[in-house]
Amino acid sequence: MEKKTPDSQVIVVTSGKGGVGKTTTVANLATGLAKLGYSVVVMDLDIGLKKLDLILGLENRVIYDIIQVVEGECSLKQALVKDKRFPALYMLPAAQTRNKDDITTTQVEAICEELKPDFDFIFIDCPAGIEQGFRNAIAAANKAIVVTNPEVSAVRDADRIIGMLESADFKDIKLLVNRLRPEMVRSGDMLSIEDLMEHLCIELLGVVPEDRSVVISTNRGEPIILNEHSSAAHAFNNIVQRLLGNNVDLMTLEEDSFWRKLKRNLGFKN
Amino acid sequence: MFEFLKKVFANEDNSSRNKANDRLRLVLTHDRIGASSQLMETLQEEIIALIASHVEIEGTPEVHFITEGRRTALDISIPLKGR
Repeated sequence: MEKKTPDSQVIVVTSGKGGVGKTTTVANLATGLAKLGYSVVVMDLDIGLKKLDLILGLENRVIYDIIQVVEGECSLKQALVKDKRFPALYMLPAAQTRNKDDITTTQVEAICEELKPDFDFIFIDCPAGIEQGFRNAIAAANKAIVVTNPEVSAVRDADRIIGMLESADFKDIKLLVNRLRPEMVRSGDMLSIEDLMEHLCIELLGVVPEDRSVVISTNRGEPIILNEHSSAAHAFNNIVQRLLGNNVDLMTLEEDSFWRKLKRNLGFKN
Repeated sequence: MFEFLKKVFANEDNSSRNKANDRLRLVLTHDRIGASSQLMETLQEEIIALIASHVEIEGTPEVHFITEGRRTALDISIPLKGR
């Protein structure tokens, strides 16, 4: 594996609440970066409830898992699953029949250290909750992406997670708002980006609009970022650029009108 | 006037978005300091009792939480009686 950058970014994607789109975020940002030629590894730490393999469409390629690595049944290299689309993308699968206490923070840190020489980006898919699984997931990371939805329960959990990341001395915590519905914000029935910023007071990394095609791409095991006609893909691509340190304006979140869809399908940029 | 008209026409105060914001403001303040909404009353009573044991209070004392960014502070205003 060829690295493009001297340092490695170790990014934990977390949320507190389940179902807000952590795994989808990990799969898409990792795929987006791999598509640009960066070497990327995604680590599924949702032990006992794994999903990342399914979202990436790699479930049939899994042989070993992270618990087997820490228990010495296989090497780290043997457990890494190579993506079928991008040679620079690898996945370290979670174990499905074990639980979060079967791995320690020290072991996660050791695995990350072993991965750093080969990878530009290490993404850690954090389980929901604030227990051992969360502590394992943040142990080795130097950056955190907090995913939330514009919805009171998700915001409350995000706030708790941000508080815990700050107590753990995280300096780089950014917010990703997923599943925003601009038309509902306009009609006064959904929290806006400004509202979320007011409550959570952390830097905004990006906004992903609600997009029906995410369900379809998940069904197929193909990350949505590969479908250039979707608005979610556009949003994820922008976030990939921001992770690379490039300034990209927030996309205009107008309602997806017939004309906008047509324009996008004809290949015009928004 | 303009603000008033805007409110009337957008029916903003009643929107579920505003309601969500109000509820979040309250719940996040309590979450961050790890306290229930009961704590406010207890704090207010105890602070006032403590002050009153030393000096005479005049008027209505007020105790509020104020938030700035992710930090929370207690804002206490207790009018004292002059001699």
